[in-house]
Amino acid sequence: MRTPLPLARIVRVKLLLLPLLAAAVLAGLAWGSGGGGPQALFRALAGIPLDDPVLADIFWKIRLPRVLLAALTGAVLSLGGLVFQALLRNPLAEPYILGISGGAAIGAILGILAGLPRFPWGSLASFAGALGTVGLLVLFASWKTALGKDALLLSGVMINAFCGAVILFLISVTSDVRLFNILSWLMGDLSLAAMEQVVLLAAVTAACAAALFFLSHGMNLLLLGRDAARSLGVPLEALTWGLLTLTSLMVGVSVSLCGLLGFVGLVMPHLMRLLFGPDHRVLVPACVLAGASYMILCDLLARVLPRQGEMPVGVVTALIGAPTFIFLLRRAVR
Amino acid sequence: MSGSLSRRLAHLAPVFLLFLVGGEAAAAEKRVLFDQLGRRLEVPAEPRRVVALAESVTEIVFAVGRGDRLVGTTRFADHPPEAIRIPRVGTYIQLDIERIAALRPDLCIGTRDGNPRAAVERLEALGIPVYVTHPMGLAAMIASVREIGRLLNAAEKAEEVASDLERRIAQVALRAQSAGRRPRVFFQIGVDPVVSAGRGTFLHELIEAAGGENAAGEAEGYPHYSPEHLLRLAPEVVVITTMSQGADFEAVRRAWQRFPRIPAVRDGRVHVVDAAVFNRPAPRLVDGLEQLARLVHPEIAAP
Repeated sequence: MRTPLPLARIVRVKLLLLPLLAAAVLAGLAWGSGGGGPQALFRALAGIPLDDPVLADIFWKIRLPRVLLAALTGAVLSLGGLVFQALLRNPLAEPYILGISGGAAIGAILGILAGLPRFPWGSLASFAGALGTVGLLVLFASWKTALGKDALLLSGVMINAFCGAVILFLISVTSDVRLFNILSWLMGDLSLAAMEQVVLLAAVTAACAAALFFLSHGMNLLLLGRDAARSLGVPLEALTWGLLTLTSLMVGVSVSLCGLLGFVGLVMPHLMRLLFGPDHRVLVPACVLAGASYMILCDLLARVLPRQGEMPVGVVTALIGAPTFIFLLRRAVR
Repeated sequence: MSGSLSRRLAHLAPVFLLFLVGGEAAAAEKRVLFDQLGRRLEVPAEPRRVVALAESVTEIVFAVGRGDRLVGTTRFADHPPEAIRIPRVGTYIQLDIERIAALRPDLCIGTRDGNPRAAVERLEALGIPVYVTHPMGLAAMIASVREIGRLLNAAEKAEEVASDLERRIAQVALRAQSAGRRPRVFFQIGVDPVVSAGRGTFLHELIEAAGGENAAGEAEGYPHYSPEHLLRLAPEVVVITTMSQGADFEAVRRAWQRFPRIPAVRDGRVHVVDAAVFNRPAPRLVDGLEQLARLVHPEIAAP
């Protein structure tokens, strides 16, 4: 059953997507409220001294961490979507819709209220919150209801609504100044990205993406259905929990750093599947690269669209993502 | 409060003239000092390009006569009128770090009450010193005036402004004392829902200094109130600030008229005041204090 690793296709997909990522990174570096533009960026890249020396700081110390953090979050959330779609065999599954991001946000807020330093304890609290909602989700999924597999999605939507209510509850019962700035974080905000955050998320993402690539054959077999997978010798329990823990970890850390970015895990996995087919050994690297590019471009839009200030990038992802959900829903019904 | 304040000031008193940064054409002299949070920082001896990270800071910088050094300010800075022409760097809660960097400031002055700590850290990572004020209360606001004056080498002017503010506050206190009774004042800063200011806020301090008793004083921070709770509180004076933009304040005042049992309503003591002088910890706060004192104790109105 195990087909040989489609190395040639993986390389081809990477060759196709890497230039896209590079272009997104360059665009993300070039534009913003502090000025710049492609010409100045290329001069800076070529090591030619800039007329305005501050621009170098803006490129490398402000925009670079921001672009990298966007790339990592995009990769994480796309991978998260891919895993949940395989695991639940539901094309509409995604960390935000399932309430996992919301659970992570509750964890992060409780961490802030408990006075834990945001780094690294805030991220761990966030991971715990994500894992908690995943646990609930799995529990609900084990119940037999007349709705079948849609019950799980509905449960997720309700978990998400519940998490939103808990977050608003926490905000309204505390007049804690530490929650003062939380609204922009809740809407997903990358404007204060720093290199330490990039390093943390990069380490977590690299480890999790490698592990997911290792599990991607198992994910392929899951598509055949749980019974079929079990009969083919897939250690179902171990695979399921492995996948859930890895995604919770990635999503939790990402939420603690960047806030709630909805529907990212929907857009890219589906596009990649349309382009490259259903083999997860190809899809895992594809989602990493494409998700990263997508989020960089969303963040760029968030920065340059408003005439004054910027908007939270979560607004952009939701504006693109929610209609995509409806579109996919329509396709799934047919 | 006053103890920790004097300790902070003691921190600041020795302002060392330190070393010269050589190399560039305009070698700038530096000095080391501590901001109002007690953080050590190195600032230019003569800051020339200053970004104010809050509206209150902008007002203080202008008050000490250094408005011409401001190259950036926050979105709602509208006082004094000259401030309107200064480039904007986002709101004080959501600062636009890129734009601040592009303005090449040699000093940023922020506020603990609102500026995200991460934003301050990002700016400092770029080598831009950020002096953080912590103007929680009248005394601390006046201390900020003196500190910002010293920071921008306008200590004399700042001292003049600060001691004038202190004199005016003392006058209000004197009059409040002679009045004796302290009416219960309800300060309404939010319209829908009704929000007031409890203990630990500078509005609370303002009410007390004006010779009133804060009707919301049993709560801390910024409590919300339901209509029934308001009836229970039975304030004798109601002061509504025009904080919520675009609301119809005559309608808000009429809403109070539904409850003629409330002493303030019965006695016609529901007032609307301009939020601008009440919601920023800047010298205009003392204008607000004087205005409030007149509303709380009209019987001993100031000349």
